[in-house]
Formats: sequence, structure tokens, C-alpha cells
Amino acid sequence: MVPKTARPTAGANPSGQLVSPGTVHEAERGTTGRADSGKFRQYRRLTSGAFLSPALVIIGIFTVIPIIMTFIISLHRWSMFTPITRMTYVGFANYARVLSDPNRLNAGANTLVYVGLSLLITLPLAVAIAMLLYFPQLRGKSLIRTLLFATYVIPTIAIVITFGNIYAPKYGPLSTIITGLGLPSPGFLSDPRQALVSLVIFNVWQMLGYYVILLVAGLTQIPSDLFEAASLDGAGPLRRTIHIVLPLLRRPLAFVALMTVINSIQVFDPIYLMTMGGPAGSTVTLSYEIQRQAFQYGLAGDASALAVLMLGLVVFIGGLLAIFMRRRAS
Amino acid sequence: MTTTIHLRNQRGDQRGDQRGRFSLGAIGDRPPASNPHLRRRLGRAFGYLGLTVVALIPLFPLYWLTISALKTPGEFSKIPPTWFPDTPTLGPLQTALHDVPFGRSLLNSLIISGGCTIAVIITSVLAGYVFSKHHFRGRDLLFWLIVLTMFLPPIVTLVPLFTLVKTMGLDDSYLGVMLPWFANAFGIFLMRQFIADVPDELIDAARMDGASEWRIVWRFVFPLLRPAVVTLGVFMFVYTWNNFLWPLSILRSDALYPVVLTLNRLMSYTMSFSYQNVVLAGALVASLPTLIIFFIAQRAFVEGIANTGIKG
Repeated sequence: MVPKTARPTAGANPSGQLVSPGTVHEAERGTTGRADSGKFRQYRRLTSGAFLSPALVIIGIFTVIPIIMTFIISLHRWSMFTPITRMTYVGFANYARVLSDPNRLNAGANTLVYVGLSLLITLPLAVAIAMLLYFPQLRGKSLIRTLLFATYVIPTIAIVITFGNIYAPKYGPLSTIITGLGLPSPGFLSDPRQALVSLVIFNVWQMLGYYVILLVAGLTQIPSDLFEAASLDGAGPLRRTIHIVLPLLRRPLAFVALMTVINSIQVFDPIYLMTMGGPAGSTVTLSYEIQRQAFQYGLAGDASALAVLMLGLVVFIGGLLAIFMRRRAS
Repeated sequence: MTTTIHLRNQRGDQRGDQRGRFSLGAIGDRPPASNPHLRRRLGRAFGYLGLTVVALIPLFPLYWLTISALKTPGEFSKIPPTWFPDTPTLGPLQTALHDVPFGRSLLNSLIISGGCTIAVIITSVLAGYVFSKHHFRGRDLLFWLIVLTMFLPPIVTLVPLFTLVKTMGLDDSYLGVMLPWFANAFGIFLMRQFIADVPDELIDAARMDGASEWRIVWRFVFPLLRPAVVTLGVFMFVYTWNNFLWPLSILRSDALYPVVLTLNRLMSYTMSFSYQNVVLAGALVASLPTLIIFFIAQRAFVEGIANTGIKG
């Protein structure tokens, strides 16, 4: 590491004074690589600590400590209606019980289906829309990008109320359109086979704009001569999409996939507000189960064991996506 | 035969020249190259058709929300539903505002979201500055450890977080709702990325002039961060405004309820279908503030969100 010499920019340093090379003595450097005197170094260190502490204290107390506590509580039996000092150590009993309880396994299965369907619908749709909003020269593209994103800023509960009405059998517009086409009226949220899919569509609707923006941003990073070269080679649009656009979109796509997983694995609001896990337990998810176990039955141990399992799932899928990105990049 | 089609540049589109070559016009069976005009027009027509369909995705539910909130109870329970209100009325809106204290809740939401937003901007700029412009051992390790928390689903820590805040005696208070969201990894990450683009020369010059680090951050660096601050501000405001699970867990008093909880109260009053247009009117009230803020700040916000994806 060679310390750069101080280069005063015009006007920035009216005195024109240069730091003498004699003070450059060790690795502790300022931003431009110029060495600091001890006093400044100490001052800079002090401010480093002072500036970091508000964020570190908040994140430490309200994120890091709760993560550790989740692990600890998951190894104990503790009713949330009693003080935390009353919890008793039970080892992995909570995990054993949770993993052998068909209701909890059902919640896990529903969550996986929900996450899988979200990915399956979100990724192709977001890529198609992002390409439509990027490649052709059309007026009004940025307006539509903004409109798409607007759904993201509306409170979920307001969307729940709106979609509850749109999904309403007979009264709702969707049901009217579908029966108008001569098809049987779907039950949507009241049909155990359709409820989870209806919730996925709801979630995709809310999040789509965010993913489209990320992918459009990814497309702007691709050098355009790659498309031109492919065009001259005579590659058709479908082949260009599969062989050029998708591989080059790998990073943003993996990021979008990760965000979709994290977002959909914790789905709570629409289930709490719309279906209460029903009909017939078809929409009970892990988040809903965690909240219900803890806040309705006080079973903090079970809830925490489920929470740890969910975290494990996030880490596992995140790891897979990271490996996928690495491997394809090399 | 060439698949390259050159479309007219759009106003303000600097990259248009390069981008036009990969156009929708090339999708589908290739018509004879002798008729490029027809093909261009066809491609364009398909493009606009696609855009219209895409625009309907967000617009239709919003349209449905608005017109349903303007229908009379009689019209609202018609089968099949009407696609435009026969006699638009503000009645449901007035009933919603009368039945639950929306005014108070809007104020509560404003206090909670405003407080969190300002706090997050302060903590993120300070931490982002240190992570970007200061040097100490373990700096980057610490930074990436913090970034990891960005991917943590909040439900995972709900139980201990609730217990902690309650033990601190902050349950059922404004501070209890707000405090856990006063700093987050996303804000620090965003600010570090943007502050990295601030030239070191500027900071060194300020230092040589004897400016304190505090003054450097707020007088010299902060004014350059406008798009990032807008992005983070809107993002945090929207996030805390819409956050449902945490206030639901920690608040008991109606007087402290943010809009989402009040709307939940309105929603659970009755399942009666004739009251649903009132609930929809309430949903409209709850959505308008974030929508308005978003549309005011949308340009900077959309850019900023896009940047987090690229740089991440």
C-alpha cells in the first residue's frame, strides 16, 4: 500500500498547504490515504464509534439480541403470559413436537407451496414486463413503471379489503367475468383448493412493481452491443431472451428471487385479515402459526422453534441462490 | 434479412439509439424484409397492447376500490356488480369517518412514520459515512454482518422483541412502536453506497479547513445525498405506515392506533355486505397518504430502489 500524496484541489485548500511527507508513517490513513497525526487519528476513531453507536445500539438491541433469544426460547418451555424468568429448559423437545405435529407440518407445506407459486408466477411475469418496459420504444413506459410500483406503497390491509371484494363470489367483478364466459363461478378464498393460489395472486399483484423496477435496472446494466451482435447473428427474439438476456440478468434475477422468497415466506397480514388460515386449514402458514401459537396460546417455545426453522429455510434458500450466482458467474 | 429495426428516438432517451435495435417489432414470425414499415407498425401496436394490459394490472383494483367506495349500499349489493356507480355518493366515506376515529389515527400514523423516518435517516447517514469514509480494523466485516440482518423476516424475532419492549415498559406507547425501527441495515447499506460516491477530496478539504466530522457529515456530505435520502425516507415512511404486525402486537389503546389498526377495527365491526362499501371507503382513506407521498417523490424513489438492486 503506497500512500498517495495529498493533492489539494483548486479552491478546496486556499492556503495551498501540503501535508509534509514526514508525517506519513503508518497504515492508519485518512480517506485519501494521507496519514493522520495521532491526535486526528484518535479524534477520527472517537467519531467512528460515536457515529456508529446509534445504529449499532438499535440493531443490537432490537435485532441481534432477539435473534439469539429466539434460539434460546426455542429450547425452553415458556408461556408468554408468565415472566420470561419462569421458562424451563426442555432441549429439542419443541422441535420434535413441532416436526411431528401434522398441523404444523401442514403450515410448513402451505408456506413452501406459497413461496414456490410466488416464484413461479413472479419471475416470468416480472421478466416479461421488464423487457416490455425496456426494449421497445414506446411512450408512457415510465408512467406505467410508476403505476406498477404504486401497488407496493398501499397498506396490505387496504389491498386485502379491495381484493376481498374483487374475489367475492357472485358480487365480485372477477366472478362476474368468469361466469360471463360461461365457466362455473370460482369460490376463490372460500374454496380450500383455490384459497392459497388466490392469496399468491394477491401477493404478486402487490410486489410485482418492485421486482420489475429491479429487473429494468438490471437490463440497463447490460451493454447494448451484446444485443446488437446477437441480432446480426440472426438470433430470434426467443433465443435472444433465453441465451443472452436471462444469463446477463442472472444477478438481478437471483436478487429478485431472494426478495420474493423472503417476502413470501413471512406472509402474515392477508392470512390474519382475510382467511384466518381457512378454509379447512388450507391457508395456515408458518408466520400465521408462529403468531397464533405465541399470542393466542402463549406457546413461545413452539413459536420460537417454528421461527428458527423458518430462519433455517431462509438461510438455506439464500445459500442456494448465492451458490447459483457464483457458479454461473465463473 | 435483418432483424434490426430502428425506431425513432424518444424525447430525453439518451440510450434510445442503442436500444431500439432489440425491439418487440422482431417478435413473432418474420414478415418479408421488403415490408419493414408494416412490421414496425405491427410491433408498435403489439407493444402498446402489451403496455395497456400491464397498466391494467395495478389500475383495475385501484379503480374498483375507488368506485366501490362511491357506491350507495343498495347499488353495492347488486348482482352482477355495476362497473360505474349510477349515483356516486360520499356517504360511505362519511360513515367511515364517523364510525371510527380516522382523524386521530392518521395523526398517530404520521407521528409514528414521521418519527421513524427521521430517526432512520440520521442513524443511516452517520453509520453509512463511517462505513464508507473511515478506516478501522474489522470495518467491512461489521458492515456485512449488519447487511445480513436485512434478510431476516421480522416474524422470526417477534416473540423476543415483544418481550424485550414490554420489559422495557414501552408496550402500548408511541416509543414502543417506533424504537425498534429507528435503524436498519437497508438504510445503512443505501447510505454507504451513495456516500462512497462523494469525492474524498471534498472531505479532506473540509477537514483541512478545520471542520469537525459532525459538520462534514451534515454540511458537506448530506446535501449531496438527496436522491438517497428521498428513497430511504419514502421507503421507511411507507414501511412503517403499512406495518401491521408490530403495532398489532404491541398496542392496546385505541387512542394510539395507527391507520391500519383502525381500519382493521372498522373491518371487523360487521361482516354485513351492505357495510362493505364503508370499509372500502376506509381502505381508500388509509391508502391515500402513502400514495400521495409516493407520487410526489416517485422519480427519485424509483431511481433509488433501482440502484439498491444493481449495487447489491
